[in-house]
Amino acid sequence: MTQFFAENFWLVPCYPLIGVLITLLWSPGMIRRTGPRPAGYVNLLTTFLALLHGTLAFPAAWGQPPLYLDIPWLQVAGLDLTIPLEISALTIGATTLVTGMNFLAQIYAVGYLEMDWGWARFFAFLSLFEAGICSLALCNSLFFSFMVLEILTLGTYLLVGFWLNQSLVVTGARDAFLTKRIGDLFLLMGVLALYPLSGTWNFSELAQWAKTAELQPTVAALLGLGLIAGPMGKCAQFPLHLWLDEAMEGPAPSTILRNSVVVATGAWVLIKLEPVLALSPVVSAVTIAIGAATAIGSALISIAQVDIKRALSYTVSAYMGMIFIAVGTQHTEAALLLILSHALAQGLLVMSTGSVILNAITQDLTDLGGLWSRRPISGICYLVGVAGLVGLPPLGGFWALLKLADGLWASHPWLVGVLLLVNGLTAFSMMREFGLIFAGQPKEMTERSPENAWLVTLPMMGLMGFTLHLPLILQSLSLLPSWASFNTDVALLLLFSSLLGCGAGAIVYIDQKIPKPIQLPWGGLQDFFANDLYTPKLYRSSIVFGVDWTSRIADWFDRFIIDGAVNLVGAVSLLGGEALKYGNSGRGQFYVLTIALSSVAIAIAMSWSFLSQLSLP
Amino acid sequence: MLSTLIWFPILGAIAIGFLPLPVARLKLITLTITGAVLLWTLWLMHQFDFNNPLFQFQEYIPWLEPLGLNYDLGVDGLSLPLLVLNSFLTWIAVYSSSEETPRPRLFYALILLVSGAVAGAFLAHNLLLFFLFYEVELIPFFLLIAIWGGENRGYAATKFLIYTAVSGALILAGFLGLIWSTGASSFAYESLAGQTLPLGLQILLLGVLLLGFGVKIPLVPLHTWLPDTYVAASSPVVILLGGVLAKLGAYGMLRFGLGLFPEAWVTLGPGLATWATVSVLYGATVAIAQKDIKRMVAYSSIGHMGYILLGAASLTALSLVGAVAQMVAHGLILAILFHLVGVVEAKVGTRELDVLNGLMNPIRGLPLVSALLVLSGMASAGIPGLVGFIAEFLVFQGSYSVFPLQTLLCVVGSGLTAVYFVILLNRTCFGRLDNAIAYFPKVEWRERVPALILAIIILFLGIQPTWLVRWSESTTTATVAAILPISTEQVAVQKIIQQ
Repeated sequence: MTQFFAENFWLVPCYPLIGVLITLLWSPGMIRRTGPRPAGYVNLLTTFLALLHGTLAFPAAWGQPPLYLDIPWLQVAGLDLTIPLEISALTIGATTLVTGMNFLAQIYAVGYLEMDWGWARFFAFLSLFEAGICSLALCNSLFFSFMVLEILTLGTYLLVGFWLNQSLVVTGARDAFLTKRIGDLFLLMGVLALYPLSGTWNFSELAQWAKTAELQPTVAALLGLGLIAGPMGKCAQFPLHLWLDEAMEGPAPSTILRNSVVVATGAWVLIKLEPVLALSPVVSAVTIAIGAATAIGSALISIAQVDIKRALSYTVSAYMGMIFIAVGTQHTEAALLLILSHALAQGLLVMSTGSVILNAITQDLTDLGGLWSRRPISGICYLVGVAGLVGLPPLGGFWALLKLADGLWASHPWLVGVLLLVNGLTAFSMMREFGLIFAGQPKEMTERSPENAWLVTLPMMGLMGFTLHLPLILQSLSLLPSWASFNTDVALLLLFSSLLGCGAGAIVYIDQKIPKPIQLPWGGLQDFFANDLYTPKLYRSSIVFGVDWTSRIADWFDRFIIDGAVNLVGAVSLLGGEALKYGNSGRGQFYVLTIALSSVAIAIAMSWSFLSQLSLP
Repeated sequence: MLSTLIWFPILGAIAIGFLPLPVARLKLITLTITGAVLLWTLWLMHQFDFNNPLFQFQEYIPWLEPLGLNYDLGVDGLSLPLLVLNSFLTWIAVYSSSEETPRPRLFYALILLVSGAVAGAFLAHNLLLFFLFYEVELIPFFLLIAIWGGENRGYAATKFLIYTAVSGALILAGFLGLIWSTGASSFAYESLAGQTLPLGLQILLLGVLLLGFGVKIPLVPLHTWLPDTYVAASSPVVILLGGVLAKLGAYGMLRFGLGLFPEAWVTLGPGLATWATVSVLYGATVAIAQKDIKRMVAYSSIGHMGYILLGAASLTALSLVGAVAQMVAHGLILAILFHLVGVVEAKVGTRELDVLNGLMNPIRGLPLVSALLVLSGMASAGIPGLVGFIAEFLVFQGSYSVFPLQTLLCVVGSGLTAVYFVILLNRTCFGRLDNAIAYFPKVEWRERVPALILAIIILFLGIQPTWLVRWSESTTTATVAAILPISTEQVAVQKIIQQ
């Protein structure tokens, strides 16, 4: 029976797509009598079917060799575009994570978007994302991964722009789309350039090819740099990181999915491409450098934010940075583990903070405080999320970070330092947020802020359960290290950095002795991080400025030089005609003279060859 | 079989123009005629053997044999997709025309005439016959722009007329030059295709044809008639202009430029690819600066036609099939974009980006139109799953191995496409709708249905691209296979040109 589900696993992305199609019936002007709610329930149902299918298929795939399916798509002029699917424990696990997260997010959304006018649209977009990410997980080809990533870029544009009345939402959607698109286009260049070299886009074959491939260093470096640009955009890495921050203007239920699994799509493709990237040491170095810079930079930015969701979003960038480090150093298993633990913990954090935002009606951290006694469930969920995210045993984040740090210990010790630093800073940032939301005295906005209805609280608690159980799941899948291979030094260092970060955060922000808001003695530095390293200004004065002025100059050139020349020719011929018409005097003799003179001229011209032979004395 | 496609619409045009048919029924009658032509085209498509790279369904009637002009028709993988596009977009254009069009008799008669003439040009198998059909559509289009256009229509129509007439003259000059220099006695395509002229003369004649067809496509800097014309023309006319007529230029370039002068084409290849890249980047860059959405879409069209030239210049089996696919994709996308922009203008009363806002509003805005506008803008920007992507991708992948730099720059151009479409969508569909002015007339079914049909086709061909490429694959592959490897003489000429 489970075998049947595994063999037909290609159905999983189809369920949410069917949901999307059915939702179209609730477009404006179609079904009105029921209101938009049934559209949401339909999508909830299809997501549940996908989840169920995944759960049933998993036992059949566990411990088995992967199953490969080929779906023919397009064969043209020697180019064979067949969709290769890989059905293995890993891909089924990934789709189950996605469908599970989306299932919880959709229940959460039913409660969260109670009165919203865009219900049907919202659930359709969530399902679109689910379908996209599931097919990305299953597909074993760079080309089709690129297609899915691009479709998800469009999805991000629509989902971030969901509340399209607000100007910040509109600019956020625009920036998200364009930033990701820049990454995608470099990825497309990589995709185009890779095929003539390798003759395949199939990930497994690419890995085989990379073992023996001999490329010129420059070619390999350029190719690899193109290929990492796509994941950089998706994972919000420096300098393509700003969109994630602006995307926080979108509704919180979509943020659950985005912060946990959507950003991970980039990491997933990066992991799959690892053998190709490893061809060039330059690319590995750049991957590590980008990852390290983003991880440290965004962890610091996160501490300086006053917006709940933005503070969270930067920790996402930081963790994706660590995944970049992992891929750059060829630790793909650790990267996968980190994706899993990060997804659960980050989803939980977003759910918890979202539930605060929903009825505190503010997401400004300086307006919040004193919620612990009023909403212990949200508080506990938040703390569990923090524990699951940073390296605190026995939860998931600890094992993932341990695996990575353990792998780096011998080869790149300084990267272990980066890891510990980022982990500590993240712990500090998360405890800061906890302190500002839950500790201290209630303020105006938090005076009346009880726990939400069960539709919001229950999925949050469910996800807390999963986060807490992750170590058990990992244990049963024997993904945890055995005692023999347990690196105690690294584990202690990791534990120490988490405790230091959490402790420092707790001392400063939970304990009320230090007055808030905290001003660092170097205000410039604080502003530097609070303003996202002035990246928006940098963008505006470089890329945006450049494109804007180039287009204006080109437009001017088109209007006045090219079209001007055309109009000049037209005007000159008109004027010439106007001027010549005065030559028409109406006198017959004049016309006869003109005709006669012209005839003579023509006659001379025609017989020139004869005339020229006459030798004049 | 093929003659029906030409003469049925033209007879229909005569009937509508001169028979005393009831004015209220004219649209319905035209729709029936174009619908019948469309069905006939689809039937031809069904009968078409797409494994055969040669001309099919040939028809031959001797006409003016001393002049070398014969009625000689045929269809192959290059012309069939465009023929279908022509029949389909004519039907769409008629469907989307307003019931209150003034002077309906003349309007529908001219549209039918244009449709027949364009079909004739795609089918003609004789150079002079092609030229005749090519010229026949000129005056009807002039009238369609000059009578039913928007503001500035007089200027636009005259500009269009002069440009197209010059283009026609150049093409005729090219054809006559070919006849005289080869000493051929007939304009028949087959007898000329195997010509063995010296390379220099070939390049000269090809250059003349390139200029002629380059006006029609259009390629920068021969393009300035296009924005003015597209902006001034009414929606149904601009669907035909952008969707079909521009393709006539690209078709002519492939059929007569590449088909008659393959050696010269290969020699000029690098230059053509660079020209294509300039067009792509130039069109996209200028589009970003536009404030009028119709003008923006017009410039986007210039950019997108560049991909066709890139694919044709690279001359690999993949890039050439991509170029044909891009013609179809571009025709469909441009048609839906202009149709929707026309609907927005008709309902909101403006095309200014700075005035438009919040049309996605589900209650008082134009939600369906906005949703379809998002879809078509994204299709144009090359988002996968829609028809634009696969066509562009085939061109890019096919061209990369030949002209890597130009291809990568064209990829940048497709990024710039995203920039202006996001600007367009953000200003038009997103944002807060101004309640004071939001009393828009209801969108009618005649406005919805064409857009919906086009959207479904764009989506379908994006998901099932086999249906897009299989018609032309064997013809384009055979064309590429017939090209001789580049000779030392050609390389020497290339070097001279580069210097």
